[in-house]
Amino acid sequence: MIPAATSFFGLVMLRCSLQRGVLSLLALCILPSATFAADRAVDFAREIRPLLSDKCFFCHGPDPTHREADLRLDMRDGVFADRGGYAAVVPGKPDESEIILRITSDDDDIKMPPPDSHKELTTEEIALIKRWVEQGAEWKGHWAYEPLERPPVPQAASADWPLNSIDRFVLARLDREELSPSQDSDKVTLLRRLSFDLTGLPPTPDKVAAFMADESPGACARQVDRLLASPQFGERMAVYWLDLVRYADTVGYHGDQVHNITPYRDYVIKSFNDNLSFDQFTREQLAGDLLPEPTMWQRIATGYNRVLQTTHEGGAQEKEYLAKYSADRVRNASSVWMGSTLGCAECHDHKFDPFTQEDFYRFAAFFGDVTETGIFPGAPNANPTKRPPEIPVWNFEQYGRLQAIDHRVSELNSLRATASGGESLAEIEKELTALAEERAAIEKAFPLCMVTVAQEPRPIRLLSRGDWMDESHPPLDPAVPGFLPPAAHENRATRLDLANWISSDQNPLTARVFANRTWKLFFARGLSGNLDDVGAQGEAPEHPELLDWLAVEFRDSGWDVKHLVRTIVTSHTYRQSSLETPEMRRRDPQNRLLARQSRFRLPAEFVRDNLLAVSGLLVRRIGGESARPYQPEGYYRHLNFPERTYQAHTDSNQYRRGVYTHWQRQFVQPMLRAFDAPSREECTTERPISNTPLAALAALNDPSFVEASRVLAAHTLTQESDQSSRLRSMWRRVLSRDSTSEELDLLRRLVEQDRAEYATDPKAADELLSIGLAPIPKDVDPVELAAWTSAARALLNLNEAMTRN
Amino acid sequence: MLPHEYLSQQHRRTFLRTSGLGLGGAALATMMNPKLLKAEMAPTGLGVEPGRAGFPNLPARVKRVIFLYMSGGPSQFETFDYKPELEKMDGQPMPESFTKGQPIAQLQGQELRCLGPRAKFAKYGANGQEISDFLPWTAKIADDITIIRSMTTDQINHDPAHTVMNTGTSISGRPSMGSWITYGLGSEADDLPGFVVLTSTGGRNPQPISSRQWATGFLPSRFQGVEFQSAGDPVHYVRNPKGISPERQRRLVDTVHALNGLRNDLVDNPEIQTRIAAYEMAFRMQTGVPKLMDFSEEPQHVLDMYGTQGADGSFAANCLLARRLAERGVRFIQLYHRGWDHHGDLVKFMTTCTELTDRPAYALVNDLKQRGMLDDTLVVWGGEFGRTPMFQGKGEDPGRDHHIRGFSMWLAGGGIKPGITYGASDDLGYNAAENKTHVRDLHATMLQLLGIDHNRLTYKYQGLDFKLTGVDPAHVVKDILA
Repeated sequence: MIPAATSFFGLVMLRCSLQRGVLSLLALCILPSATFAADRAVDFAREIRPLLSDKCFFCHGPDPTHREADLRLDMRDGVFADRGGYAAVVPGKPDESEIILRITSDDDDIKMPPPDSHKELTTEEIALIKRWVEQGAEWKGHWAYEPLERPPVPQAASADWPLNSIDRFVLARLDREELSPSQDSDKVTLLRRLSFDLTGLPPTPDKVAAFMADESPGACARQVDRLLASPQFGERMAVYWLDLVRYADTVGYHGDQVHNITPYRDYVIKSFNDNLSFDQFTREQLAGDLLPEPTMWQRIATGYNRVLQTTHEGGAQEKEYLAKYSADRVRNASSVWMGSTLGCAECHDHKFDPFTQEDFYRFAAFFGDVTETGIFPGAPNANPTKRPPEIPVWNFEQYGRLQAIDHRVSELNSLRATASGGESLAEIEKELTALAEERAAIEKAFPLCMVTVAQEPRPIRLLSRGDWMDESHPPLDPAVPGFLPPAAHENRATRLDLANWISSDQNPLTARVFANRTWKLFFARGLSGNLDDVGAQGEAPEHPELLDWLAVEFRDSGWDVKHLVRTIVTSHTYRQSSLETPEMRRRDPQNRLLARQSRFRLPAEFVRDNLLAVSGLLVRRIGGESARPYQPEGYYRHLNFPERTYQAHTDSNQYRRGVYTHWQRQFVQPMLRAFDAPSREECTTERPISNTPLAALAALNDPSFVEASRVLAAHTLTQESDQSSRLRSMWRRVLSRDSTSEELDLLRRLVEQDRAEYATDPKAADELLSIGLAPIPKDVDPVELAAWTSAARALLNLNEAMTRN
Repeated sequence: MLPHEYLSQQHRRTFLRTSGLGLGGAALATMMNPKLLKAEMAPTGLGVEPGRAGFPNLPARVKRVIFLYMSGGPSQFETFDYKPELEKMDGQPMPESFTKGQPIAQLQGQELRCLGPRAKFAKYGANGQEISDFLPWTAKIADDITIIRSMTTDQINHDPAHTVMNTGTSISGRPSMGSWITYGLGSEADDLPGFVVLTSTGGRNPQPISSRQWATGFLPSRFQGVEFQSAGDPVHYVRNPKGISPERQRRLVDTVHALNGLRNDLVDNPEIQTRIAAYEMAFRMQTGVPKLMDFSEEPQHVLDMYGTQGADGSFAANCLLARRLAERGVRFIQLYHRGWDHHGDLVKFMTTCTELTDRPAYALVNDLKQRGMLDDTLVVWGGEFGRTPMFQGKGEDPGRDHHIRGFSMWLAGGGIKPGITYGASDDLGYNAAENKTHVRDLHATMLQLLGIDHNRLTYKYQGLDFKLTGVDPAHVVKDILA
């Protein structure tokens, strides 16, 4: 066999944040200097509990159907109980502890884990468990399920470095490891980092120049405030939230028809921009319809409950699909808000976490009142399709205009009250009439949006092994998982009770999960590396106190998202350079200790946005219909019911941000797909970051890249007059920094060689320039423009151009 | 000085010695030598995938799989499962003992009547394999194929049933079998993806097929199946933009490499080297893919055997393409033919579908055999489910509804006991009665032939060790293995 590494794609090594198998192994060995020291205190949460979970819980965990020897190792009682003269663990006495006997035995009949389980403990792991018992077998509950309390902020050795409490936690840990933080990033890199992180867009050369010139204290904080206040912040945050709630423009199954949901996307953007508190954001999405006198936006928010994958396939069975939708909601809501894999309990009790199968169906019962049907017998194959209940609602643009109209109307009304002259009164009346007509026209043009309408709850039963035909169990009332703090409710618990429980101060999960994921957006990795599972099989955080502190800070600020983000990005930890020394790369390859910043390829949407921004093509309109950028011909040919031909937008919608791209679940726009955009069929907590030939092909040849290059070239030719200032200007526009003479030299050669060639082949120049809809300035020489288009293509294809450093 | 020369001078420290090769050559050299590559990438702690070390972990019988996926669900009653009892019952009510409490697709609420076979059967090959007269060419390879007549699956609608056939579950977001296999074994192709998908249509109104069916799910993106198209660009963005000659593209790529290299001197980012390698591969693909699709080097008798003239998107052309991909070391090749959803006009559409697919499937097996490649290739034929023994009345003539309790597939190639029929359905062909074979058993068997213990090829996701065959027990079908 030829080794796997010679495969076409296997060759292309990538940074894949999903390689959890590798990562969790590394998790145990980032600190070679300390790990195996015999006297070092064993950390139960980070070192022992994950081992017990992975190797033992399957048979000695929460699921009673697989439990062997009536022994539970996920609970204190099970571990230490007297089992008739012996115990699994006797603190301080490994020789008397049954588990030590078992894991060190050579006898296959006695040995644990048993050979046929395909689970093995390494010598190091056995030694670790033994040492844990020797040291007194400290036992704690699972970190994510413990009550959330604010830990004390450590006093760091260096008083100078910390800018806020985050830094004190980080520095205290680095002190323990005898490491120092990295130096600060240079200002250009820092502003690029802040701009991409907070808005998904690069800074303009003007903004860079202004920041470079601003040497006053607080310069950085002012940039943070500016970027947090920009409407692009909401778009940026929405990219992540929409992955979580698996937002898409199409139904997903079978014919993958378009469904009516875009106003929900606008709601998400608006909410982040308005800094709607996260608890309210939660309530509105899960149960906006149950709030007293819900506003239009609150009703739109309930599109959350409807944006799941659905089918219009002929021959689909009503009950089967209602069961699928029900399970889908449990998987999604528990993943989005709880970071939990409650979805695993659909067919059996959870193997690792204390979720029972009944918990799964009781959670599902919260959504039993959502009005919907499993199938659509009447004309289901229209595009857009119909999935009632749908109501006409405003999109963000219409909302903005209506706000302006209302404002003007009230102004006019006050004027009218004081107006005296007949002429001015008539004018006021005339304007009021026009505004009323405009308002009516806008309302008539409202798009439809799927929303949640509560009905008499459908009975939700436990389904044996998830079998939708099973009717043998009684209907269940809604309830939250039994091992977590109870939910307050009167009578039958509702979706609103669920939402209130999720966002209650007592819930140990919500704030930790959101803080951890938010951290990830700004450091490439969560404080707990496993973003979709904070349960027993997840990863104990490297900085547990910091995560808890951040979660409490978030919760106690009134679930203030911008406060959380600001706290993170104004830390000194955030400002560090992302350069890594070979030593640090070896010692801490994943940057768990935070002795540096991280660097990563931009998310797919921002790769696109960057092109549009630096070329000046970007249309910054917020919300509204989904945009259809260029796409290879025939990409939708496998769609049917109805058949589809993709029509790229020929108006300004062609140049809108990636977040607005029409999201066809079965065939995601191929440039975005090549850069790891997910299908959004299920919750995505973390995208892989790959580096493949398919992405290279897209960056080289996708018309959006070529067109942006041409427009950037035309802009450069028009703005600058000589070759060297053109080269420098184009460079700065794409990369924000100044170029070196070596770099400029390489770029200049490309321009000159291409110019010489295009001069002898003007037809080729014309062909190149014909790509894309954007007009070509009349007074530009096509040969010159083609040559400079090459330079722009080169710049836009640089690693640096698509990397957040 | 050309950019790539400049680079090779400047970057001996970070790049491999190029000995006069341009950077393209250097990157290539890196890629052709996995040891060098690992040495380059190891410090990141991310490049190496220990989970795959040690695979294959069993003696491998085949190196690759070609899956002829008859999308829509071909009828077993008109192909491989002759049912004389059903013939006798033609037009009679289907006994309720079979159908009570069973999931039903489009026939929900309708009177259920038997529909006898709409084809004649004869026995072929040394062991007298029963094959219908819709498949005269397949009949010629009766001694090469193993027919399984006892397949079952879980899902009765197309979309979820496809997802079960490809990923082992109906929940979206799990890796497809082609992704699992290229993840486990890598690929032997040096200028093509390890997992390639080809599609064709012809038959009754083609059911949609989602790219989910060849998606990589939670496995790394590079294990994604790549679909090759017959119209437009064979692979998305594989053609240069208009006005960009190969030389210009080369110059651009070299400039990008050189600039990336300069930057790397300052920032020492392993991602930059990876990106250079990716661009180099992309550039090679730009010439490799069109060459692959060009059949001019194929002799006329081979074209005639398949019944194709060029890569025109027909199933025949795709079968020849499959052989060419196999020769180039592609690990998993999946051919979808969309058109087998015969709710009505069964005879008419069976005729269309088999005229388009029967001979090419024969030609593929025969061609592989003649080249000695059938010994290390597994060929699989079948759809996401089968069809009911009951009549359905869409169109002018009878048809059949979706059916999941028993259907037929065939396998051929290395490690397979050829020329036998395995398993049987009951007298009316409703339930798999003997040697019931679930889709996950098929998966387990396929992995076994590739040298993979299906219980051992796992990937950690959401805290669990996921595998293709899932949590329910899966069994290797040992009786069909040589």
